[in-house]
Amino acid sequence: MAAAPPIPGRRKWGLDNPYVFLLPAVLIFGAFTVYPILRSLYLSFYDYEFLHPERMHWAGLGNYREIFHDERVTQWPGIVLPKGSLSVWQIVFYPFLVFWLTINSPGGAFWNSIRFTLMYVPATIILPLFLAVLIERAGRLSTFFRTLNFIPVVVSVAVVSIIWMWIYHPEYGVANTLLRMIPGMSEGFIWLSDPKLAMPAIAVMCVWHGLGFNMLLYLVGLQRIPTELTEAATVDGASGWQAFRGITLPLLKPTILLIGLLATIGALKVFGQMFIMTNGGPGDSTLSMVLYLYNIAFRYGKFRFGYASALAWTLAVFIFFVSLVAFRLSKERE
Amino acid sequence: MAINADRARRLSNSGLLYLVLLIVSALSILPFVWVVLSSLKPYSELYSKQLAFWPHHWTLDNYTKMIEKMVGFGCYYRNSILVSVGTVVLTLFAGSLAAYALARFRFRGDQAILLVFLGTIMVPGEVGLIGQYELLSAYHLLNTLTGLTLSYTAFNLALTIFIMRGVFAAVPQEMLDAARVDGCSWWESFWQIMVPMGASGLAASATLVFLNAWNEFIFALTMNNWSDEARTLPVGIQLLQGQWQHWDYGVLFASVMLSFLPVIIMFLFLQKTFMRGLTAGAIKG
Repeated sequence: MAAAPPIPGRRKWGLDNPYVFLLPAVLIFGAFTVYPILRSLYLSFYDYEFLHPERMHWAGLGNYREIFHDERVTQWPGIVLPKGSLSVWQIVFYPFLVFWLTINSPGGAFWNSIRFTLMYVPATIILPLFLAVLIERAGRLSTFFRTLNFIPVVVSVAVVSIIWMWIYHPEYGVANTLLRMIPGMSEGFIWLSDPKLAMPAIAVMCVWHGLGFNMLLYLVGLQRIPTELTEAATVDGASGWQAFRGITLPLLKPTILLIGLLATIGALKVFGQMFIMTNGGPGDSTLSMVLYLYNIAFRYGKFRFGYASALAWTLAVFIFFVSLVAFRLSKERE
Repeated sequence: MAINADRARRLSNSGLLYLVLLIVSALSILPFVWVVLSSLKPYSELYSKQLAFWPHHWTLDNYTKMIEKMVGFGCYYRNSILVSVGTVVLTLFAGSLAAYALARFRFRGDQAILLVFLGTIMVPGEVGLIGQYELLSAYHLLNTLTGLTLSYTAFNLALTIFIMRGVFAAVPQEMLDAARVDGCSWWESFWQIMVPMGASGLAASATLVFLNAWNEFIFALTMNNWSDEARTLPVGIQLLQGQWQHWDYGVLFASVMLSFLPVIIMFLFLQKTFMRGLTAGAIKG
């Protein structure tokens, strides 16, 4: 803000007063954003069912205590180890195998949101990066490819979820029709009805949906890197991969962190995909935090706004700390 | 010779590059193309286990059936348009005025107000869901387009203020001074200098806000889900999917096609603006 002087002279309440300029925004924002957030915080300390306001009473930390005892929130499968004898590949990639088996084991809503995040975020950091690097090299056609890949971004979660429900349809879906072409695969999978497949299937869809957006952020980041740097490295005999690892990747770090942070925050709040595609099932295997709090507040008939508010605030505080830690880590490394 | 071999290698490299890009891009758009083509297939072809991408017989049956039988769809469409346009207008008006005040003036409390606006960007919108439901219910704004428009406006204000404050701060002070000398009030110089100077920023914000409103799901589901008169497209489409999936996929394909096509076409015409708006909005999680 260069030179923003105070308005000279006295201020009248009229169309020449900065407070008047702020008024519409402050009123709308105060009433529909700030007040509801604070109201939710207040309600989280009360035993409160929307349909019975007369029974509302102070609960202190009761709702928060209930979260810790609610199995549908806190259940966790623990570290899951592979059973039986292992093949050579399974031994070589043992850590990855354990990681995957663990994050693919359903638990309570909190764990489900986290395991969705752990499936979604790494893929959504890596895949768009490759796409962006390839598109940067595509010369005159790069705009064309950028446009095509960006299209899914403008389409809503609801529409995308419905289209992918059709793709995953066990009988008529494209996924299974393609799989059946492979010799020996006569049946395919029941994707969204299989507790081991539902969450990865949703995660794949989300990575697909966000690909174009993150590609764009990477392209913006790549444009900020002076081409002379990579060119100089290539002249000095570095291979394309070495130039990428040694120069492009370190300079892209802010972009990678931004995408990682945005993806993590978004993933921890995941709702629509589960609501539309699986309704949290099969079992509770895709029940996310926001879906659960939505169900508590609006679907289980009791409109338990107090408990649901406590769930919402717990998630918000968790997201805040995750962002804070990510931020600190990125600062320390520098 | 060596040069030729090098050139050949480079050519095959770029061939591979384009091949990979074509495959990835195809994966990005094929689901939509598939929906468009399926909406033009007759009933018999839709329920076949054979993978047929291209329709054998082209037909508009699904669309006529949709218009006849899917009574709610027209309502959802109208509601989505009204709410999205209303949100864009209201957000840009209130947001850019506030951004103007915060970018160009110093007054008591300016930093505090800015802090509240930007600080709430960090709070997930879902936290306000319950408080907002209560509020709208108390003022009989549930299941009204007004209620949802106000909710979406509040939701998009902080981001718009953030973007437009940057845009307005970059306008040279001399222009404002000159207008002031010519007797322009601050209100007049907002409309005569700031709005034209910030036009591309306003357009980028408009696309971002429009897209947010057009695609929003959880608030629309919570606040406006009692009758067709108030449902927007994402909620309506989801409801139709539940009602029709056991009867006729063709009609569903047609309705889904109609709900994403206008936005995609709009994007193709206004690509630069969309991309600018969405990257500017990237700070909001």
